[in-house]
Amino acid sequence: MQPVVELRGINKSFGPVHVLRDVNFSAYPGEVTALVGDNGAGKSTLVKCIGGIHPADSGEYLFEGRPVQVHSPRDAAALGVEIVYQDLALCDNLDIVENMFLGREHTRGLVLDEASMEQLAADTLASLSVRTVRSIRQKVSSLSGGQRQTVAIAKAVLWNSKVVVLDEPTAALGVAQTAQVLELVRRLADSGLAVVLISHNMNDVFAVADRIAALYLGRMAAQVPAAAVTHSQVVELITSGASS
Amino acid sequence: MRAGPSQDEIRRYNLGALLRHVHILGPTSRAQLTTLMGLNRSTIGALTADLAAAGLIREEQPRSHRGAGRPSLVVSPASDLVYVLAFSVRVDRVVAARVGLGGVVLDRRELIHPRGALAAAEVLETLGGFATEMRRTLPGTAICAGAGAAVSGLVRADDGLVSLGPNLGWHDEPFGERLTGLLGEPVAVGNDADLSALAEHTRGVASACSDVLYLHGDVGIGCGIISGGRLLRGHEGFAGEAGHMVVNPAGKPCSCGSAGCWETEIGEQALLAAAGRPPDAGRAGISALIDAASRGDTEAQGSLRAAGDWLGFGVANLVNLLNPQMVVFGGTLRDVYLASAAQVRGRLNRMSLRASRDPLKLRTPALGEDLPLLGAAELAFTRLLADPLASGV
Repeated sequence: MQPVVELRGINKSFGPVHVLRDVNFSAYPGEVTALVGDNGAGKSTLVKCIGGIHPADSGEYLFEGRPVQVHSPRDAAALGVEIVYQDLALCDNLDIVENMFLGREHTRGLVLDEASMEQLAADTLASLSVRTVRSIRQKVSSLSGGQRQTVAIAKAVLWNSKVVVLDEPTAALGVAQTAQVLELVRRLADSGLAVVLISHNMNDVFAVADRIAALYLGRMAAQVPAAAVTHSQVVELITSGASS
Repeated sequence: MRAGPSQDEIRRYNLGALLRHVHILGPTSRAQLTTLMGLNRSTIGALTADLAAAGLIREEQPRSHRGAGRPSLVVSPASDLVYVLAFSVRVDRVVAARVGLGGVVLDRRELIHPRGALAAAEVLETLGGFATEMRRTLPGTAICAGAGAAVSGLVRADDGLVSLGPNLGWHDEPFGERLTGLLGEPVAVGNDADLSALAEHTRGVASACSDVLYLHGDVGIGCGIISGGRLLRGHEGFAGEAGHMVVNPAGKPCSCGSAGCWETEIGEQALLAAAGRPPDAGRAGISALIDAASRGDTEAQGSLRAAGDWLGFGVANLVNLLNPQMVVFGGTLRDVYLASAAQVRGRLNRMSLRASRDPLKLRTPALGEDLPLLGAAELAFTRLLADPLASGV
């Protein structure tokens, strides 16, 4: 199977700090790839390289097998790579539809095409089997943590994206909402997207991941199928960069 | 010697196949049906005309049309008129519904009761009452295509006798016969985990899989097995009682009379008791336990880890035995799996055969809490889909 996104030999330094060293990473369609690692291992930097926020110093970025140049978030979005950050980047004072189309509104002549945006937002939420939201014209400030996460994820898949990166989507959620978000993550991948999940929670990782990529001090310690490792082996990879 | 199927048999088969496609996919264009069934367009036209004349489907012009040529008619199930009665009897609730062709729940009633034994007579009275209420509001042209019921217990396939419902307190209960008498309509009865497996296989998370293992958790553990696209029933219909596999010979006594059954390790009472909580707290109790574990309660964490480990232990054995493409965790096992997946996966990855484990998918249900009810509806539709134009419908 061909990866949708493949990074080869990525290096990234901030001044004297060498954050990523010859990192290889692949994300496959229809699969959840969990990206795990201790604080400071380079997870966020790797994600920012994927999303074009920090272009890599050296290395190759392949999208569907073709080498591409990704220098800005716009380049990444144009390829179909969307990133949902931990803070979700939603505007509390806007409703769900306005948030989903923020900065990329549909227009008809000089006015906003509210009807088409509303329809597309509703279709997207329905395609994700989201039933918890009462009205899509609700202000985001009135939503629960899990619902916000859902809206942020729906916003990412609205744009025919091929890769969705989720940074700690279950952090700060209650048990019931965590379960719903995990099921949503799984559905995204089952619908054909390549999903990258950053998480510190091993249960979340094993509940949905097909592959686990472990970073250790800026190097990729291993990228292995979830069916081939145990919990303790992954913890070893995270804490020592190798497993027995 | 037979010369092969007759014209009539072929036509009956094609009618059933077409109706099944529309039942599962919802509104479908004639062009799509032509591709799906590999028949020519005029045959599809003749089949849809017959089904439409019987009032089972409707044909309409598509709402939006793109591309060149005359738009293909869209065939939709007559969900509002063609229905089945579906019933579900579980340890904590009794549910009845009218489900339209296409799997749409048109009307639904339920009675929640405390977990524990429940007299069959009471259940029958409740279900009969629900059925009468639902029939009262029917449009005059409605067509009842059958009735089905899902019961958590050992159900004999031919007559719906519940041989044992350990958590309902039922023994040799002629449930199918009595419900049939009450409704004046034959009722097909099945085990609720079997029918849940059927529902997820028909239109849920496992719709693309021919080999599925569905595991349901509440007080006991139910298991439904789809093998080669068919429900595995065994000689009389009692197959798949994975909850009563003995996993721990030195384990606790089980409601079935044995000891150390899988459900004594991963059933909700086992989890709650191991964490020092009241064992009858039900699904809400399990949620509270998982919540406590996520907040650092070490007793709750220990209980959950042990349950995850035993869950992986049993699944590993079942996977080695049955080689499914997918295992679906429902009921309390959904919550337990999502909260202890590291243990489940760890045990599964150590114990199962690599060839069976590598392609295996672990999932949670897509159809929600009414899964057995929807499965009972699918069971009830079987007769109509096998022979759509048979008399009586």
